[in-house]
Amino acid sequence: MEISNIWYFLSALTLLSALMVIMSKNPIHSVLYLVFTFFCISAHYVLLNAQFLMAVNIIVYAGAIMVLFLFVIMMFDLKKNIPESKSSLTKLAGSVVAGTLLVILIAIVRKNNIPAPLGDKFNSQTGMVENLGQVLYGEFLLPFELVSILFFVAMVGAVLLGKREAGERNF
Amino acid sequence: MTAIIALSLFGISNLFLGFWFPRKTIQLVTLLFLVVSMALTVSDWNHELLWFGNMFRTTNTSINFSLIIQLAAFFVVAFSKAFGQDDEHTHPAEYYAIMLFSVVGAILMVSFDHMIVLFVGLEILSVAMYVLTGSDKRNLRSNEAAIKYFLMGSFTTGFLLFGITLVYGATRSFYISNIGTILTTTAPESMPSFLFIGVLLIIVGLLFKVSAAPFHFWTPDVYEGAPTIFTMFMSTIVKTASFAALFQLVSGIFGSLYTVWVLPVYFISMLTLVVGNISAVYQQSVKRMLAFSSISHAGYLILTVSSKQISTTSSILYYSLSYTLATVVAFAVLILVSEYQSARVEKPENFSSFEGLAKNNPGLALCFSISMLSLAGIPLTAGFWGKFFIFSDTFSRNIIYPVILAILMSAVGIYYYFKGIIAVYLKAGEIEKIEVPTLFKMALWACTLGTIILGIYPSLVKSVF
Amino acid sequence: MSLLLLIPLLPLIGFAINGLAYPKLSKSIAGIVGTIPPLVAFVISLQLFLNFDGQTQIIQLADWIKVADLSIPFAFQIDALSIMMLLVITGVGTLIHLYSMGYMAHDAGFGKFFSFLNLFIFFMLILVLGANFTVLFIGWEGVGLCSYLLIGFWNQKNSYGDAARKAFIMNRIGDLGFLVGIFLLIQEFGTTDYQTIFSTIKDGTEVGNIGLIAFCLFIGAMGKSAQIPLFTWLPDAMAGPTPVSALIHAATMVTAGIYMVIRANALFELSPEVLHFVGWIGLATALLGAAIGLFQNDIKKVLAYSTVSQLGYMFMGLGASAYTASFFHVMTHAFFKALLFLGAGSVIHAMSDEQDIRKMGGLKSKMPITYLTFLLGTIAISGIPPFAGFFSKDEILAALYHHDFAMWCLAILGSALTSFYMFRVFILTFWGDFRGTEKQAHHLHESPWSMTIPLIILAVFSVGGGLINLPHFAGGNEFLAHWLAPILPEPHEVGEVSFFSLEMGAPLVAAFLPAIFAIYYFGIQKAVPGNDESVQGIQKVIYRKFYIDEIYDFVFVRPIQVLSTFFAQVIDFLVIDLIVEGVGKTVKTASDEIRKAQTGNVGYYIFMMVLSIALILVLTLRSRIL
Repeated sequence: MEISNIWYFLSALTLLSALMVIMSKNPIHSVLYLVFTFFCISAHYVLLNAQFLMAVNIIVYAGAIMVLFLFVIMMFDLKKNIPESKSSLTKLAGSVVAGTLLVILIAIVRKNNIPAPLGDKFNSQTGMVENLGQVLYGEFLLPFELVSILFFVAMVGAVLLGKREAGERNF
Repeated sequence: MTAIIALSLFGISNLFLGFWFPRKTIQLVTLLFLVVSMALTVSDWNHELLWFGNMFRTTNTSINFSLIIQLAAFFVVAFSKAFGQDDEHTHPAEYYAIMLFSVVGAILMVSFDHMIVLFVGLEILSVAMYVLTGSDKRNLRSNEAAIKYFLMGSFTTGFLLFGITLVYGATRSFYISNIGTILTTTAPESMPSFLFIGVLLIIVGLLFKVSAAPFHFWTPDVYEGAPTIFTMFMSTIVKTASFAALFQLVSGIFGSLYTVWVLPVYFISMLTLVVGNISAVYQQSVKRMLAFSSISHAGYLILTVSSKQISTTSSILYYSLSYTLATVVAFAVLILVSEYQSARVEKPENFSSFEGLAKNNPGLALCFSISMLSLAGIPLTAGFWGKFFIFSDTFSRNIIYPVILAILMSAVGIYYYFKGIIAVYLKAGEIEKIEVPTLFKMALWACTLGTIILGIYPSLVKSVF
Repeated sequence: MSLLLLIPLLPLIGFAINGLAYPKLSKSIAGIVGTIPPLVAFVISLQLFLNFDGQTQIIQLADWIKVADLSIPFAFQIDALSIMMLLVITGVGTLIHLYSMGYMAHDAGFGKFFSFLNLFIFFMLILVLGANFTVLFIGWEGVGLCSYLLIGFWNQKNSYGDAARKAFIMNRIGDLGFLVGIFLLIQEFGTTDYQTIFSTIKDGTEVGNIGLIAFCLFIGAMGKSAQIPLFTWLPDAMAGPTPVSALIHAATMVTAGIYMVIRANALFELSPEVLHFVGWIGLATALLGAAIGLFQNDIKKVLAYSTVSQLGYMFMGLGASAYTASFFHVMTHAFFKALLFLGAGSVIHAMSDEQDIRKMGGLKSKMPITYLTFLLGTIAISGIPPFAGFFSKDEILAALYHHDFAMWCLAILGSALTSFYMFRVFILTFWGDFRGTEKQAHHLHESPWSMTIPLIILAVFSVGGGLINLPHFAGGNEFLAHWLAPILPEPHEVGEVSFFSLEMGAPLVAAFLPAIFAIYYFGIQKAVPGNDESVQGIQKVIYRKFYIDEIYDFVFVRPIQVLSTFFAQVIDFLVIDLIVEGVGKTVKTASDEIRKAQTGNVGYYIFMMVLSIALILVLTLRSRIL
C-alpha cells in the first residue's frame, strides 16, 4: 500500500471521529470519540517521523487529560443539564458558512503545485527524544522556557478560579 | 531583554511575597518591580540586537512599545486599590503575579523575531486575560465574559496558528527576518497561494485581539463583564501589544505583499470605525461605551498600518501612549464612581451615576473630562495630536476616503464622549465627596497631566519615538 | 536680549496676578502690582533706547507656524521705530496706570481694571515688537479685545456694552481687510517677515498685487485708527473709564494703524494711488472730526472727535510720504491728548461724573493744577508755537504744502476748527461761573497727587515734546528724522523755510485767530450753548454728527437684521433642524440597529467571524481561485 493511501485513510478517520465528537448526543461518547481522534493524530505523528510526539500525545492527551474529562462528566448529573439544541436553521447556516470556508481554502490550495518534501534530508532519528532535546534546549530554548511561564500562568489561574472564595466580594 | 527574565522572576517572587506581606506592601512592591523592569528595558536603548538564538529582537521601536506597555501596567497596578478590603480572604499577590506574567507576554509580542515567540507571547497574555476576566467569581456576568472570551480567543488562536503554519509551509522558516527576505526576493506569482491565506489568517488572528470589526463581537461583552480594573488592563496593554505585533508583521515582513492585504485592511478599518463609533452612541453604560470606544480607536490605528510612511511608527507610538493615558484615567474614575454608586443605584456603571460628580469631586470630574476630551481628540490634549498624526500620515499616502470617514466618525465620537462630560458637569445629582487613596490620586493626576503636556508639547515624546 | 523679553512679559505677569487674585487682592496692592510692570518695562526700554546702535535686531523666540513652505516664527524686531513706540507705550502707559490708581480708587472692579490694562500693554508691546505681520496681527487683535473689555468695563449699563460691541465689530471689518492683506503677502512673498518682504522690494524684484496689498493693509488701519468710514466707534468708545480713553483711544492703540503704515512704508511707496487715497481719507476724516467737534457738549466726545481729526492729520502726512512728520505727530499727540483726556478725567472726577460742559464753568480756582495743565494741552493741540503740537502739525502741513496745495488749504481749515473747538471746551469748563448743581459745587476739589503728577509730567512733554524733532529753522537738529532715517525712504528735499512765508504764516493765523475768537465769544461774551432742542439748521446736523450713525444703521444694520431674521426662521429650520439634526437622528437610529447585532450569543459571534473570514479570503484571493 502506498504511504499516501494510509495518510488519506487516517485523515478521513480523524475527521470523522472529530465530527462525531461534536455530533454525538451523549457527552461520554463525545469524550471517547475525542480519545479516538487523539489516537488518529498520534498516528499522523508517526507518519511524520515524530515518534516521541506520538508517545507523549497518547500518554498526556488520550491518557491523562481525557480520563480527567471522563471523571468530571460522570460526576455531573447530565439528565438535568442537557443544553437546548440549536434550531435547525442555525445549524444549517453554520454548516454552510464553514463549508464555504472549507471550499475556498481547498480551491485556493489546489490551484498550486505544492513543493515536494526534501527527501535527501530525511533522518529517521529526527523525532527521537535525543534530537528533540537538542533542539528544545538549544535553538528553541526561549520558547521552551516561555511555555513554562504560560503553564505557570494557567496553573495559578486555575487555582485562583477554582479556590472557594470566602468573605466579601473583591470587585 | 533582561526585562522579560526579571518580570518572570518578579512574578514568581510576588506569589511568595503574598504569604507574608499585606496587600498594600505587595502593591508597592509590584510597582517597584515594574519600575525596575522599565529601567532594564531602557538599558537596551540603541542596542539593536537579536537574543536567544535570534528569536527576540530589541529595537528602539520595540523598546518604546514595551515601555508604553509597562507604563500602562504601572498605572493599572496603581489604580488597583489592592483588590478589596478583606484582609483575611483576598489574595492580591496572585492577581499581581498574573499581571506581571502577562506583561512578559505583551513584551514578547512587541519584540518577537520568531513566529513561535509571537504565539507563546500571545497565549501568555490571553490565558492571563481569560483568568483575570473571570476573577469576579461570584458575578455571573464575569463568568460569562470569561468563558466567552476563552471560547472565541481559542477559536481565533486556531486561525492564527493555521496562518503561521501556512506561512511556514510556504517559506520554510519561522524567523521573521528570514520570512521577510524570502518574501521580498521571491516574485509573488511564484509563491504558493496558501501563503496568502496564511498571511490573511495571521492578520485576522491579530485583528481579533485588537477587536477590529467584524471580529469585535467579544469586546463589549467581555469588557463589561470583567472587573473594571482588568478591563483597563485589557483595553490598554492587550491592545497595544497586539497592535504592535500586527504593525510589525504587516508593515514589516508582509510589506512586500501590500496588494494582498491592503484592501481587507482598509475595509476592516472603515467597518471598525463605523461599528465602534455608531454603536457607542446608544450605550447607557460608561463601561460599554468605553468598550466601543476602544473598538473605534482600533479603527484609527488600523488605518495607519497601511500608510507606510516614515513617521508612521512614531505616530502609532504616540497614539498608543495618548490613548493609554486617557483610557486609564477614564476607567479609574469609573472604578471610583461605580464603587460609590454600587450600594445606591441599580446600575452603577451607567452615565446616570456620574451625574453631579463635579459638585463635590471637582478633581475627579476634571480628570474624567480631560480624558474624555483626549479620547474625543479635542485640541490641547494628547488625543488630538494622536489623531492628527495618524490622519496626516494616512493622507500623505493618498488614502482619502478612509480618512474622510475617520474624521466624520471622530465627530460622532464627540457626541458620546461629551455625554460623559455633560453628565459630570451639567446634570444635577447627589454624589458626596469620594475618598481617594493617595497613590490612586497621584496616578490619576500624573496621567491627566501627561495627557495635557503631550497635548501642548507633542514633540516632547514624538522626538524620542 | 533677556531683558527685552521682560518688556512684554512683565505686563503679562501683572495681568496674570491681578486677574487670578481678583478680587482677593487689596486695592493698593493691585494698583502697585499693575503699575510696576509698565514702569520697569519703561526703564528697560529707556536703556534699550540709550544703547541702541542703529542696527536692526531680530530675536527668534520659537517656530510658531510651519505649514509646507510657509514658516512663520514668533520673533521680535528691535529697530528705531519699535524702540520709539516702546517708549511711548510704556511711558504714557505708566503715567496712566498711576493716574488710574487715583481715578478708579472707588470702583469695585479695581483689580480687574488693572489686569485688563496690563493685558492691553502686553498686546500693544507684542504689536510693536513683532518681526512679521502675523505677530503684529496677534497684538492687533489682542488690543482690540482689551479695548472691547475696557469700553464695556462698566457693563451694568446696556449702552456701554453696545458701544463696546460696536467698537469690536467696526474693528473686525478693518481686520478682515488686514487679514486679506496678510494672506496676499503670503501668496506673493511666501512670508510675512518684514525684513524679507522689504528687502525683496528693495532688490527691485517684480511682485504683483502690491497696490492691492497696501490697500488691504490700509483698510485694517482704517478700522483701528478710526478713519472714514469706520470711525464712528471711537466717540462711542468714550463709554469706558477715562484713563482707558486716554491710553487706548488717544495715545496708543488708535495709532497702531499709523505705526503699521510706517512699518510697511516700502509697500505703500510702491503704490502712489493708495498713498493718495490714504491722504484724502485722512483729510476727510480730519475735517469731519473737527466739524463735529465744534458743537459737541460732552467734554469727552469733543476730545474723541478731536482724536479722530488728529488721526486724520497723521494719515494726511502719510499720504504725503512724510513718515517722520506723522510719527512725530503720533508722539506729540500721545502726550497732549493723553494730557487732555486725563485732565478731562480729573474734571469729571471732581464733578461727580458730570461730562456736560454746559454744566461746568469756573473750575479754574477750584482745580488749579488741572486748569493749568489742561490749558497747556489746549495750546499744544491748537498748534500755537512753541508747544509740541505746533512743530509736529507744522511738519505735516509743510509736507502737504509741497505735495498738494488743495489738500494743504483744507488742512489749514481743519487746523483752525481744532483751535476753535479746543478753546471753546477749555473756556466753558474752566472760566466763567459755575453752572452745575449745589451738591456738585460742594464736592468740587482738586484731584489727589496720583492724578496730578501724571498731568504735570505730560504737560511738560506737551510743552517741550517738540524738541525731539526740532526743525532747523528753529535751531534744532531734527533728531527724530535722523533716528528713523534707516527704515524710511529718502525724504523729499524741502527748501529752507522762511518764518514769514505763506507756508509758515497760514498755520499760525489758523491757530491764533480762532483761539482769540473763542476767547471773545465764550470768555468775554460768556455765551453758553443752549439745550439740545434749541439747536437748529446746519448746526443741528453737525451736532447730530451728520447723522452718520443713523445712515449706517439704515444702510448696513437694518438689511443685516432682515437677513438674519430670514436665516433664523427659514435657513435655521431647513438646514439646522432638518439636515443637521437629521444626521444626528440617523446616527442614533443606526446605533440602535447596530447595537442589536450585539446579541450576546457566542455561536452567532463565531458565525459572523467565520463568515467575514470567508468573505475576506474570497474577495482578496478571487483571482487565484478562478
